[in-house]
Amino acid sequence: MLTWLRSLWEEQQERLIFLPPFPDQADPLALFSLLLVSGLIIGEALHCWLRLPRIVGYVLSGTLFGPSLFGWITVESLALTRPLADTSLGLLLLEIGRRLDLRWLRRNPALLRTAAIEALLSFTAVYAYSRLLIGLSPAWGGAAAAITMASAPAVVLLPAEETRAQGQVASRTILYTSLNCALSFVVFTVVLGLIHAEHSDDWLNAWVHPLWVSLGSLVVAILTAGLCLLIGGLLPKKSLAQVFVLVAVALLAVGIARMIAVPVFLCLFLMGAAIAFFDRGKILAYTELPQGHWLLAIVLCVITGASLPWRDFTLIAGLQAIGLLVVRAAAKLAGVFYGGGADLERSKRLLVALGIQPLSSTAVFMTMELAALYPEFGRPALALPLFAAALMEFGGPVLCKLAFVKAGETDEERSRHGGIG
Amino acid sequence: MSEAIETFAPSGILTLGVELELQLISNRDFDLTRAASDLLAGLRNDTEHGEVKLEITESMIEINTRPRSDIAGIREDLAVLRDLLVHHCAQQNVSVSGGGSHPFHHWPERRICPGERFEQLHARYGYLAKQFTVFGQHIHVGCQSGDQAIWLIHALQRYVPHFIALSASSPFQNGTDTTFESSRLSAVSAFPLSGQIPSSVMSWDVFLAYIEMLKDCGVAESIKDLYWDIRPKPEYGTVEIRVCDTPLTIERAVGLAAFAQCLTHYLLRVEPGIDPQLHELVARFNKFQACRYGFDGVLADPYLRTRVSLRDDLMLTLAAFEEDADHLDCGVVIAGLKEAVRRGLNGTHWLREERRKLGGYNDVVHSAATLFAGPSSPTSP
Repeated sequence: MLTWLRSLWEEQQERLIFLPPFPDQADPLALFSLLLVSGLIIGEALHCWLRLPRIVGYVLSGTLFGPSLFGWITVESLALTRPLADTSLGLLLLEIGRRLDLRWLRRNPALLRTAAIEALLSFTAVYAYSRLLIGLSPAWGGAAAAITMASAPAVVLLPAEETRAQGQVASRTILYTSLNCALSFVVFTVVLGLIHAEHSDDWLNAWVHPLWVSLGSLVVAILTAGLCLLIGGLLPKKSLAQVFVLVAVALLAVGIARMIAVPVFLCLFLMGAAIAFFDRGKILAYTELPQGHWLLAIVLCVITGASLPWRDFTLIAGLQAIGLLVVRAAAKLAGVFYGGGADLERSKRLLVALGIQPLSSTAVFMTMELAALYPEFGRPALALPLFAAALMEFGGPVLCKLAFVKAGETDEERSRHGGIG
Repeated sequence: MSEAIETFAPSGILTLGVELELQLISNRDFDLTRAASDLLAGLRNDTEHGEVKLEITESMIEINTRPRSDIAGIREDLAVLRDLLVHHCAQQNVSVSGGGSHPFHHWPERRICPGERFEQLHARYGYLAKQFTVFGQHIHVGCQSGDQAIWLIHALQRYVPHFIALSASSPFQNGTDTTFESSRLSAVSAFPLSGQIPSSVMSWDVFLAYIEMLKDCGVAESIKDLYWDIRPKPEYGTVEIRVCDTPLTIERAVGLAAFAQCLTHYLLRVEPGIDPQLHELVARFNKFQACRYGFDGVLADPYLRTRVSLRDDLMLTLAAFEEDADHLDCGVVIAGLKEAVRRGLNGTHWLREERRKLGGYNDVVHSAATLFAGPSSPTSP
């Protein structure tokens, strides 16, 4: 059939001069679009038949059709989608940064204490596991612990939006996620220096790189947040124009972050936090990102699924990753349950601990940033958090949604039928 | 239930009790949020000053004072309960606010609170139950007997527009200015047993017979199903005035309770002649005038066959019971209400001013929550 089509095409080429050579390979953009559509279909199918969150389907689609399995999307094509993935992750991190509600922490300091204990326990437990049981070096063990401290903003925000969850479990899950992301990013910058110190004789990089990343991100974040508020203040609140400004300036921040080689996720998270902190007049407080940003989240999940290195997956690697997840889960559970927040019932505290278990795109992207520094050491060392994130890509959304549903905070009708998810 | 109805437990005459239904607001965008069950689970009720209770949807919470003989007790109870609630709400990143309606909430998003009675109401009334996420102040005034309660209900009926105008604080619904001073009562009027006591019910015995008839016909199961503007509450031994929007401040809630107490004292002292059948003919019109125009409404007077300004009639009423107010230690509060009427100050006026100043409804709700949490004066809305 293909041969017949090719010969027909080539015959016509002699007469129809505008015809290009017969396309031997599908255009990466066309393939990527098919990948997205298949992601949506699989997401909807899993949601209808198995009541699984749609996000699982998006990741599964990326995994199936990505380079590791069917290979629709090659590694080269995948690299082309990186700006899109950066944008998607950036917007999600911007949103989670905007949810970092410092006023709530001031009114209820137990929440900050709980988040700090939870993050510290998680770091310590994973670090000890990586060093003592897996045998990673101090720097790479620290990297694995820093990466897995954070929960997954996309995985927490998507089910919360999909089910319109409202209540203390959903609110605290989102708050703790934004806090453990913030703490994880702080440790991440320190770990950058440690990795340089471990692998390079030149101490300059060990000192300057963390400073470059942290200060660079902070400066870009504050400047872009200020720009957002400045222009947003001239426009009607909640107007489409404000949404446009927010998205446009976020894209500017993504672009600058890529130009100066600071992590997009860190920069956009700080930008979101800076907007929330400096927005005293609530200029942008009620301005929601458009539904399109959830479409970008689908893109992110599909790309993340496709980026997962399943070819390198072994039984041992899987067991080690499961071990990490168990240790991390126990630490987060203990932190949330015993760390404070006694104004919430015990059963609901357990559900919050369940809600913050997801580990996903942020972890994958942090891993990529670190592994790129010294690939020969980084890739094998960071296979541990990467496979843990890969497993959690499928389990995390289920756990998070389960927490919201069990807490009775979801909108049943919307949970069943509605939402872009 | 019939046994409980037959027994009108007499209470101290003119004792007061106040119930306030309040809004639970998300601090993120100031929309209503589902928070009542979580809030109540983490809150230790201060029984010395009353209680905090669930209402029909998760975005509402109710505070009830204890029965008090004077307005000072009501003020203290409400202030303590308000502070308790504000403190616990802050811990859960929620605000609490007065006002008869939320300006922009989307009613299908409301969730019915757990509880058999709430589920029954939802099953019986369908979407009306969620649309009933409106917020009112109920005032209980103590009576000596069932017959006195029925007489008082009829006597107070003439003043329903006055209560509405003084408490009006629900101008906005669904992100729109309804042009009404109190749009809350439209949600109440959709219920089949809303409205007023039938004019033929003129004694406690007739009331009991009426309730029995409703029960036999399957129209109502108990007195709780009567959503009348004013109804008897036999287990408390009170008459319950239910037409007020929840005001924006504790002080206006206290003012309304003082108004009810002084008015009742005045009516029992003067014992004016009443003709419920005649009044029934204009009651709905007068109520509409108050809901639509507030102090600027015009009332039909079926006795004199004329029309009177609601503002003027309110000022005359307030002047008429000055002596009663002094006797009940309500002089300062009633003087504050007079000043508020003279200047046209109620919750709706304040909310519209805030909307004009701030532009968006989110900021208006933020402002209303801040107002509710703080101290207020006798002229506060």
